[in-house]
Amino acid sequence: MNIFLYLDRATRIHRLDPRTKMIAVLIVFSVCLCFNHPLYMAAVGLGLALAAVAAKALPNFWRLRYILILLFIFSAVMWPFFVKGRTSLWSLGGLQVSRESILYGMAMGLRLVSFVSTGLIFLSTTRNEEMTNGLIQLGCPYPLAFALSTALRLVPTFAGAGATIIQAQVSRGLDLESGNIFSRIGKFIPQAVPLFIYAIRHTNLLAMALESRGFSPESKRTMYYEPHMNAIDYMILIGLLVLFVTLLYLRLGLHLGAIIPGRL
Amino acid sequence: MDGAISIEDLTFTYAGNEHPALQDIRGRVEDGTFVAVMGHGGAGKSTFCCSLNALVPKFFRGTYQGRVLIDGKEVAQHRVSEMSRHVGLVLQDFEAQLFSTNVELEVAFGPENHCLARQEIERRIERYLSFVHLGRFRSREPASLSGGQKQRLVIASVLALEPRVLVMDEATTDLDPLGRREVLSVANRIREEGRVLLIADHEPEVAVTADRVWLMRDGRVISQGPPSEVLTDVESMRSCGIRALPTVELFRSMNWPGNPLTAERAIELIQAHHLVCRREPKPRPPFCERAAGSVILQAEELRYTYPSYPDEALRGVNLTIHEGEFIAVLGQNGSGKTTLAKHFNGLLKPTSGRMLAGNKPTSGYSHREMAQWVGYVFQNPDHQIFARTVAEEVGFGPKMQNQTPGMVKKRVDEALEGAGLEGYEQRVPFTLTKGERQRVAVASVLAAQPRVIVLDEPTTGLDDRHQQDMMKMLKRLNQQGHTIIIITHSMGVAAEYAARTLVMKDGRLLCDGPTRSVFANEAKLAEASLPPPPLVQLGNWLCTEALTVQQMVRELKENEGHGNSKQVR
Repeated sequence: MNIFLYLDRATRIHRLDPRTKMIAVLIVFSVCLCFNHPLYMAAVGLGLALAAVAAKALPNFWRLRYILILLFIFSAVMWPFFVKGRTSLWSLGGLQVSRESILYGMAMGLRLVSFVSTGLIFLSTTRNEEMTNGLIQLGCPYPLAFALSTALRLVPTFAGAGATIIQAQVSRGLDLESGNIFSRIGKFIPQAVPLFIYAIRHTNLLAMALESRGFSPESKRTMYYEPHMNAIDYMILIGLLVLFVTLLYLRLGLHLGAIIPGRL
Repeated sequence: MDGAISIEDLTFTYAGNEHPALQDIRGRVEDGTFVAVMGHGGAGKSTFCCSLNALVPKFFRGTYQGRVLIDGKEVAQHRVSEMSRHVGLVLQDFEAQLFSTNVELEVAFGPENHCLARQEIERRIERYLSFVHLGRFRSREPASLSGGQKQRLVIASVLALEPRVLVMDEATTDLDPLGRREVLSVANRIREEGRVLLIADHEPEVAVTADRVWLMRDGRVISQGPPSEVLTDVESMRSCGIRALPTVELFRSMNWPGNPLTAERAIELIQAHHLVCRREPKPRPPFCERAAGSVILQAEELRYTYPSYPDEALRGVNLTIHEGEFIAVLGQNGSGKTTLAKHFNGLLKPTSGRMLAGNKPTSGYSHREMAQWVGYVFQNPDHQIFARTVAEEVGFGPKMQNQTPGMVKKRVDEALEGAGLEGYEQRVPFTLTKGERQRVAVASVLAAQPRVIVLDEPTTGLDDRHQQDMMKMLKRLNQQGHTIIIITHSMGVAAEYAARTLVMKDGRLLCDGPTRSVFANEAKLAEASLPPPPLVQLGNWLCTEALTVQQMVRELKENEGHGNSKQVR
């Protein structure tokens, strides 16, 4: 069962230096925070969609489609109750729903989906090793960089083990199909305990194997895939920065793109 | 220079334990030799392997006495990362040792840690990937490789540091016969390069080509010598919990001269001394439907494709299973055996064709109902064990079926008795040995009282003692009326216990018949990359019916008695 997010393709985005991609992710996150009007957020979303196509990352989006849809719906439904707008449509006690807050909710939904999509595009185009090497070159301490990449590396492994454990427990009679909310929580233990034990045992063996191959988190090491910054990397970074500054001006200077001004 | 490895009075006790794991180990290993370290589970083989590269005492804490010298360096004085230049360690669980996103990065990892220049790393990747015959897989994801390929990748990545000594701790136990052969042939070539190869295992077949064999028991090395001496000392082997080589046992029981370690040697000796007259190959009676019980499981043109993979995993399997049978399903990893078995209990539903249990399609049952028809014991008991006591663990199934507490207790008692675990009710499952945990897993499936029990690799990873206990328990359950289906790549186990054998290859059923006929068809077995066990090879040559040593001894003695006059050379 393969739950790796990295897709081995030869696109321009894949070939960018990992440092460029990491900084780009931070800039795009900031761009997402600029606006709270759904139309403007939709434009950001469109830009990301184009990036996803260029990165050939769409299969991952298809795999996670339910999560993305759920995030959007959850935000769009919950936010309107907690934000005050001008044209009130319904109110009850302290809660109020207005035209503005409904639009705000949609914008928040789009923002959340954009955050996740940015991360997804990043993970689809960057190997764990490239990310570690990029972080180290940016000055991140070795142990921290390795901790991050190992965590990412182990998520698919544990998810795979979790799936096997569920099958094993279902085979001996664990009934996941019926029951109220309380009994369902109780059914979590037969799935969680074996998974914890698996995780501990697996990481113990992994640590033994890593050390036996000379790994030491503090010491220096060479990089087989050595990241290089090319002209295109600088161009993309500069382009994104210019974009960010422009959009920031639109919001702060010209007061555009905010359905509820005064909020993030 | 006294030998590549020198061990002086090594004694080690894990922190928190009373008994030492290793006691007064003494020995020397020269360059270019292959040493096989044999012993039952818990004898100290893994501890010994880890003491060679400083994992013991640096990673595993405890009281350490004595010295281990490799190339003149005292191991305990160095860090594990320093020792990695001299000793490479390959562990049993190949999944846990691989973590890079592609093959070449995995091999590059070790040299990267040692700050080698990029050119040098490139050279080593080329060299060692071609050494293990994985050159064309350079940009593949490790997850897409087979078990044997993964273990070879681990070997390549360990060799990339160019250590003098390569230690393999039960590295072939989880592999199918083809994978095992691949890894052992790589291992043999390492020895030819002048390095030291040390393999720890509990299967004597591995030690046959070794230069020296060490026998371990309870933390001590009780015997060291060439295989011709150590592997023929049946009493010592048995006391260490290792089963004797069947050819040796056979010659011993028949009072024949010589101690052949392989089937080929046995055949040579038989021909040289005219020990037995080969009979004419008997025409085999056609496989008639045994007058066994009713049909309990049936597959009709069963096809299955996994959602994320384009290839079909099962391509039109037709199969009828009667109640009370004992069936072994053999085949390489990836042949579809586990996929087929998961259809038996409804974990997977066919993409096309039908799978019937009790004349009703499996899709018509809920999981709870299926658990009463077919119980499935997974390969790794640790994927199921979660409770605080064995009784709670085994009682989980009946509890899920909403039985009364009295009924639950009764089921638990019966299940524990069936699994041979009376008296274990209050024990904590995590403190049991692997063999015992595997039996707890079987007991917890028995508690639902299924009519068919499917076991995925019940003996892999168990040493001989536990294997025997497990298989005897399954035989007993079969005699009590349960239908038993085991998926295994242990040819010896299938030969000894299963009445009927199915061989799978590439999603199709290649052979289906009584075990003896299937194993006589060496051509078909070769097609499925399954070498017959040495005793069966011998039996095929002698044209006997027997599948175990006792049966063969009896049969040969009967033939001698009948004075078979026809001599066929």
